[in-house]
Amino acid sequence: MDNKPSLSQYFGDKEVPPASQFFDEIGTSPSDMIQSIYLGETEGNQSASGSIFPQNMSASFSQQKVPEEMTFTNVLPTVSGSTAVPAASLPDPSTFFDTIGPEPQIVPTKSTIASPSILTEALDGLSIKNQPVDKEADRRRDAWLPNEEAKKTLMKAQSSPKGSFFPEREVLTMPGLVLEEELADALQEVAVKYLGVSSAGSRGVVRAEHVSRDEAGLRELLRTGYLRAAVNLTHVLISAAGQGVGRMHRPTKHTPRSLQLWLTRFAVMLRIKLTEPLLKEAEPFGDFNKPDMFYEFYPDSYEGRTGSLVPFSLRLLVAELPAHVGKPEEAVDRLYAMLDTIQTMLSNLREGKTEDGSATISEQDKTESIRLWMGRETRVNHSLVNCAIAMKDYRQAARILTTLQQQSSSPGQKRAICSALCRLWLLAGHVRAAMTCLDNAREARHHICPTPDVREYVDLGLIDIAHGKYQEAYNNFARAADQEPTNIMVANNLSVCLLYMGRLKEAIAVLQKAINSDPERGLNESLLINLCTLYELESSKTNEKKINLLRMLCKYKNDTIPNVLECLKL
Amino acid sequence: MDPKEVVEHLVALKVMRLTKPALISPKIVTCDSKDLPGNILNNYLKDDATSVTQMETLAAGQFLLLPQSFGNIYLGETFSCYVCVHNETNNPVQSVSIKADLQTNSQRILLTTQQNLSPTMLDVDETLSDVIHHEVKDLGTHILVCEVTYMSNYNTLASFRKFFKFEVMKPLDVKTKFYNAESDDVYLEAQVQNITSGPIILEQVSLESSQQFNVKSLNEVDDGISVFGDVTLLQPQESCQYLYCLTPRENITKEIKLLAAAKNIGKLDIVWRSNLGEKGRLQTSQLQRMTPDYGDIRLTFEKLPSKVSVEEPFDFQCKIVNASERTLDLILKLRSLQDSSLLWCGISNRKLGPLEPGQSLFINLTALPINTGLCNISGVSLLDLFLKRTYDYDDLASVFVY
Repeated sequence: MDNKPSLSQYFGDKEVPPASQFFDEIGTSPSDMIQSIYLGETEGNQSASGSIFPQNMSASFSQQKVPEEMTFTNVLPTVSGSTAVPAASLPDPSTFFDTIGPEPQIVPTKSTIASPSILTEALDGLSIKNQPVDKEADRRRDAWLPNEEAKKTLMKAQSSPKGSFFPEREVLTMPGLVLEEELADALQEVAVKYLGVSSAGSRGVVRAEHVSRDEAGLRELLRTGYLRAAVNLTHVLISAAGQGVGRMHRPTKHTPRSLQLWLTRFAVMLRIKLTEPLLKEAEPFGDFNKPDMFYEFYPDSYEGRTGSLVPFSLRLLVAELPAHVGKPEEAVDRLYAMLDTIQTMLSNLREGKTEDGSATISEQDKTESIRLWMGRETRVNHSLVNCAIAMKDYRQAARILTTLQQQSSSPGQKRAICSALCRLWLLAGHVRAAMTCLDNAREARHHICPTPDVREYVDLGLIDIAHGKYQEAYNNFARAADQEPTNIMVANNLSVCLLYMGRLKEAIAVLQKAINSDPERGLNESLLINLCTLYELESSKTNEKKINLLRMLCKYKNDTIPNVLECLKL
Repeated sequence: MDPKEVVEHLVALKVMRLTKPALISPKIVTCDSKDLPGNILNNYLKDDATSVTQMETLAAGQFLLLPQSFGNIYLGETFSCYVCVHNETNNPVQSVSIKADLQTNSQRILLTTQQNLSPTMLDVDETLSDVIHHEVKDLGTHILVCEVTYMSNYNTLASFRKFFKFEVMKPLDVKTKFYNAESDDVYLEAQVQNITSGPIILEQVSLESSQQFNVKSLNEVDDGISVFGDVTLLQPQESCQYLYCLTPRENITKEIKLLAAAKNIGKLDIVWRSNLGEKGRLQTSQLQRMTPDYGDIRLTFEKLPSKVSVEEPFDFQCKIVNASERTLDLILKLRSLQDSSLLWCGISNRKLGPLEPGQSLFINLTALPINTGLCNISGVSLLDLFLKRTYDYDDLASVFVY
């Protein structure tokens, strides 16, 4: 890629066509994604996405195989040349800005392609009024159980005559922004410092200014990797929703949209390790158990809707938060509280009732709901394991993983968990247990493929490393590399082995080759740390090599790496 | 690095300690695909080279990260490091060699390098490197001294040294307790405490007995399964207690003098592992027990049943050993104490002896239990005719009467 703007550059990844990404967001995620990440997203794929759109749109949007140029999120003229969308329908930033208010207005559809704002809302899955929505899917996704105290307030809200319900201050969630300053593009800053203004360019700024100031723009920034610019944009959008700087501890109106904005902000802040302000901003939300976090609190706006306004991912993220600042014990408490609620809901579902146990549901609904919530249960369990690993409480981690392994439904899952257990024991130094787990993983693997695959060879290599047999480990990693020559992780592990075998030069060469062959994936934080460690070991004149890496980062990566200087040891 | 070093050397020396690498995972941030960020963040996670396919949300990765700090080092572990000399000039450098040794409080150890002992030529940008291993056998301050010698531009040998200081700490605290049983067996309780800063796995704890004893480990149940379960994982400050039974070898049991002198029990051999299999091994010094003081006469009961029926007489043996230096003339007295549940059958005031020093004598005894419950064998006394001294043996054993 060169510096000239091109379509693929603006859409980040060459491998993933923009169209498919676009459609992933509206719930047509490939099923392997559901299984692997345990997002628990199980809502009806084609049917759900179809029903979100007005009928006249389904023809062009409900299929995966839409021409790639169908990209509404991009507003750069370079793209419009190749797009099938009429220029008139391209989003105008000013109209986007209008939709930022706390109550999204639905702009009437003028053309067959629909106005950008309606599209945005439809894509967000956040449309509230006048939209044909899948009620079951909404209920399932939003379900959550209020605690006893919140229940009382919600009862009051539901039973009070219209307009006569005035809640106490104590029951309100009153968030506000804390991080005031605008974040600069971190990579850009480093580049300016080390490469000079001219070669650093100013793409980041341009990018941030060209996207629409709304959810679509936000997603565009995320997709292209301008994470700090995305945080800045959430600042704008959240302020417009009345929860900006200085609004903390003041009553405010929550909408699913405002909470989605907070989710986006928190998720990105976590990724770029802005944990301190994140903790402060998350604090007013507590554990999202205040009654105003439930739909029943707003009988006028969301009649008949149940569950919580809080997206599950936000709830989980905030529960996990203490683990990211060295307090995994606190995270464990919160996660177990979540697990408790989930299990209550699951037991209601298994009895053929809704999550809150208030009504009965159809068999298909039951199956879908159980699938969703079991997926989420697994996701919480994974977080618990991660906390246990962070606390080096390997016994607890192994206990949870063993339970998950016993519950696993497919050989693939079983195998993946056994393999994870193997590595867990290696972390603890229990080599014998690791070998037993690897045997179990191998047995499960036989059900999937007859010969060892990359994962198995790598696990074998890791066990060799635990035994201090670096040559054997190297051989196992080399077998893995035979199968997947472009696998960055395998190349990295080969390189680490080479160092322990006393072959520094080769170790460096392997990593450099890995980066050059796949810069997008190869320019990984941890790999950069390894490579720069090797550079520093080799010679005292490392600056030029590190600057070269920085150049590559500028060329291939945007503002996604939280700590460029640390990675490059500059 | 030494800031005083002003001389520009043609080669640079770098040293890195090679502890085990770490397994790293990405920052796990996920969303539902219907959330505002959609699958964008999920895709970041999936595409991250450090994440494991289909287990992205679990932080048990496969990606190795090189050690980023010196870390701690404990007695019994192996100190490994990478030593690297790099030609920093634009010309070849002749006769480059590295020498490394380790100075402890007590000694100076030459670390054998695997290769490159003879001076070699380093071409432009070439390196001379080696991996050094050394099992740490001393506590306290260690100084790694690396010396590099090369041919300078003036055709003279130039050299410089670098020093790397580190502290070797104690990994384990071992506390022992001995119990001398009446049967001459010795029970050893060994408490192994983890005093490192992280969790460790006790891979092997074994007692190598001395010549005088046979050892039986009491830490496994019948089918060889450890009583501690699958995992002997010790968090910092936690300890694990092992129990061993040592039986004196036959040649020793026969001679009460040898038995009294058998102080050496054996050595504990402990192998542990920590982060990614980092291994350590320690052996304790010879463990010594306090031998029991047998006095002049040693009396033990043998062949005593553990439970007997009430009002049915039972038989057992009484073993008397002369632990003194002289020949003994003894009288055995059997008294039925007032509140005792046992009545003696047979002859009291029986004369025994003479008993030579070191010799033993077996006497058959019969008793009749008259009450149920746990009952002490009491009322046996020996009278030393020479010293006119009476020895009472009231609490040596008990029997369950039902």
